[in-house]
Amino acid sequence: MSLLAIRDVSKRFGGVNALAGVTFEVEQGDILGIIGPNGAGKTTLLNCISGLYRPDAGDIRWETTSIRGLAPYRIARLGIGRTFQIVRPFPSMTVRENTAMGALFGRPGARLQPGAALNEADMVLDVVGLGEKRHYPVLRLTVPDRKRLEVARALAMRPRLLLLDEVMAGLNQVEIEQALEMVRRVRDSGVTIVLIEHVMKVIVGVCRRALVLNFGRTLVEGPPAEVLKDRRVIEAYLGQRYARDQEK
Amino acid sequence: MSVRRATYLVAGLALAFLVLAPLTSIDAAQQAGLPLLTDKLWFRIATTVAMFVVMASAWNIIGGLTGYASFGNVAFFGLGAYTAGVVVTNLNLPFALALVLAPLVAAAFAVIVGIPLLRLRGHYFAVATLGVGVAVGEVVNNIEPLGAATGLFLPIIRSDLLFFYLMLGAALLAVLTTWVILRTRFGYGLLAIRENEEAAAVIGVNTTFYKVAAFCIAAALTGIAGAIFAQWNSFINQDNAFAISDNVQMILMAVIGGTGTVLGPVAGAISLELIIQTLAGGGSGSVFSQIGLGVLLAVCVIFIPRGVIDFFGGRSRLSLRYFRQTLRETSV
Amino acid sequence: MSQFTQQVILGLLLGGVYVAVALGFSLVWGILNIVNLAHGALVIIGAYITWVLFTRLHIDPFLSLPVDALALFVIGYALQRGVINRVIRAPLLFTFLLTFGINLVIVSLLLLIFTGDFRSVTPAYSGSGLHLGSIVIPYIRLGGLAAALLLAGILWVVLNRTRSGTAILAVGADRDAAQLVGVDLRHMYALTFAIGAAFAGVAGGIISTFQSITPTAGDPYTLQAFVVVILGGLGRVSATVAGGLAFGLIEVLGQSAPGLSSSYANAIAFVVLVVVLVVRPRGLLGRLA
Ligand SMILES: Nc1ncnc2c1ncn2[C@@H]1O[C@H](COP(=O)(O)OP(=O)(O)O)[C@@H](O)[C@H]1O
Ligand SMILES: [Mg+2]
Repeated sequence: MSLLAIRDVSKRFGGVNALAGVTFEVEQGDILGIIGPNGAGKTTLLNCISGLYRPDAGDIRWETTSIRGLAPYRIARLGIGRTFQIVRPFPSMTVRENTAMGALFGRPGARLQPGAALNEADMVLDVVGLGEKRHYPVLRLTVPDRKRLEVARALAMRPRLLLLDEVMAGLNQVEIEQALEMVRRVRDSGVTIVLIEHVMKVIVGVCRRALVLNFGRTLVEGPPAEVLKDRRVIEAYLGQRYARDQEK
Repeated sequence: MSVRRATYLVAGLALAFLVLAPLTSIDAAQQAGLPLLTDKLWFRIATTVAMFVVMASAWNIIGGLTGYASFGNVAFFGLGAYTAGVVVTNLNLPFALALVLAPLVAAAFAVIVGIPLLRLRGHYFAVATLGVGVAVGEVVNNIEPLGAATGLFLPIIRSDLLFFYLMLGAALLAVLTTWVILRTRFGYGLLAIRENEEAAAVIGVNTTFYKVAAFCIAAALTGIAGAIFAQWNSFINQDNAFAISDNVQMILMAVIGGTGTVLGPVAGAISLELIIQTLAGGGSGSVFSQIGLGVLLAVCVIFIPRGVIDFFGGRSRLSLRYFRQTLRETSV
Repeated sequence: MSQFTQQVILGLLLGGVYVAVALGFSLVWGILNIVNLAHGALVIIGAYITWVLFTRLHIDPFLSLPVDALALFVIGYALQRGVINRVIRAPLLFTFLLTFGINLVIVSLLLLIFTGDFRSVTPAYSGSGLHLGSIVIPYIRLGGLAAALLLAGILWVVLNRTRSGTAILAVGADRDAAQLVGVDLRHMYALTFAIGAAFAGVAGGIISTFQSITPTAGDPYTLQAFVVVILGGLGRVSATVAGGLAFGLIEVLGQSAPGLSSSYANAIAFVVLVVVLVVRPRGLLGRLA
């Protein structure tokens, strides 16, 4: 039995088919990479999983039960944490307080009090490398740091599944290396990860399996190295002419 | 001494005075030769101020902590007042029962309108709640047993002292409630909703429940104030129980004092109500006090959008630079 | 003719008034993102101007509409340029409070100038009307509807066929981009608000022909304008027309329902508002919100 199973999920916005029947599964302990050009439907997919959008059709299963149409907070409490591609911190709070909110609400069993949640936040902030900046107001953080904060807040929930939406976009080489290292550490601690990236290189670095989304459909699925060589993928990213030239 | 300490000290002294001074009006105290510190006017103003402290603090719970600027809280006040009217006048039951029922009725109403309305945001929520205030008043104004357009008379209880202490008690309850909320998970959940509702939802905050609960608490507190007002004033109608300008006043008080803080709405209520009373007491009638309130609204909103608490304490200081900076931030 | 047909005609006539009232409100909301709580007060200023011109100079109320427009245009420009522009980037609550304060000041000033007495404009033809079978349609109500539709046409032309209109729409779509291509934001905001106020003034002139006016008579119109925009959806002139006519129908038919009366006008408006907001948050007819 897989941890998360997506079956034929579709979502329309007016005339746009943001998702047109996507199917895949995520195994416990795995890191699944999802790539695809801008507008492919990656973020919409995450929104469907985390309950912000209700899919028009299809089913989303968590272990044995369907979570389609469940309220976001209930999905969160099952152990699914996520980040936002366009970051959404709580702006009037400090880095530490932001992170503590994840521990405070995302761990239904623990029922932490605010003080304990702050201690929890300190631990998580060290993992993502924001320990030194814990007392900063979020408005003072740089964009890469805000992305780290997204991850920290989700990690503070101690999720079983972590959904990361382009947390490495805009980072430089060194920063990407650090981020990949962090993702590996999180995986090693037993968290299953779905990693959305616009950039393929990142996926190759840590994923065992990758899935390419294009126009709301699964284009290819398989080991990253093979996926990247697939002609359809190259076409999707660079256009048909480029793909033909490559083959010659 | 820090600004914070000084504030608490002043607040404590003021509270002690408020609790003790009215006692000098008791016969026994007068016979003992104590100076009379409070006359009828003092009681009227002090009770009114306390009433607005309740309303502004209650509004702060939904508007300031949760970020949903309700323009319909006055409906809770009116419902509380009319609950008291029905209990005391129509049913001939003791006023004490009204004090228990009024918050329950107001809270129940908050659940009913809160569930659909709290899904709206921004202007939509503001105007929809404004509609609640107007519509409930209008409906009450059409119901015969509630006195319709004539209004409802309650048997008079003559005791300045009683109503002052009741209203002061309600005010303390409202402030204490805010203080407790801000120290609990519940309070953090409300703040998270205010700061970013979707982010709150995906970390596990039951946003609907939290919002409705906050609305309910605000409603209950406001309802208590309404019930006390009804018996104190011994006459209620659409104009005094469902006054939209009261609703705007409570918001302005919270905003001036600093939304989201415990003592901000208190400071705002005291200062604004005293100003309004002064304007109204100038002998030129209510027109000028309305103009005064209008101008005051404009000045406050334009120059101190972050509230006086922020204005005096911590981050910014009383200076021309502050004015210029806020103007730059908010204007074109 | 049946009772029902009569109600429908009355509803459309009333709807015309709502169209007139809501056009300016919708423009200001759509472009400036301000829900103008002083809109009703601006409407009533227009009504008083028409009343003054009628009683002092015996000018026909419909001929005074351009004067209303001009006067309110000036007032509106000054208000936006001098006051509202200063909080345009502040959170919604603040513009809301500010316009409420402006409303308070205007209403109080009107009270000082005109007292709270009921004032009415009664041209010679105000009693007569068009006979259609058993029902009579007052000429003034027909004139009001015609004026409202004309207003809608003018607004459409201004927005879609003039340079200033294009600039206004550009500001509404993306204020930063508009500024980058050289649009003077302060002026455009003031111009937009001025146009909105001018339309409010004309609506007030129309209203004065069939309703007694007092300084506070404008307040319900603010809520009703909001409902119209919700019904039609924000953004297009045609949406406001449809929303206004629909709301007029709903109100007239609603008030004729058993147990209800005109004293429930606000309650009906509010119920419609809530139902639409909850069921179709983007408006019954519109796509933009
Ligand atoms: N809330 C929404 N309303 C309307 N259209 C949307 C919404 N969210 C996404 N879309 C559309 O769905 C498509 C997929 O978007 P998205 O999931 O954000 O893509 P990606 O994350 O892969 O870049 C895009 O065409 C986008 O415009
Ligand atoms: Mg995306």
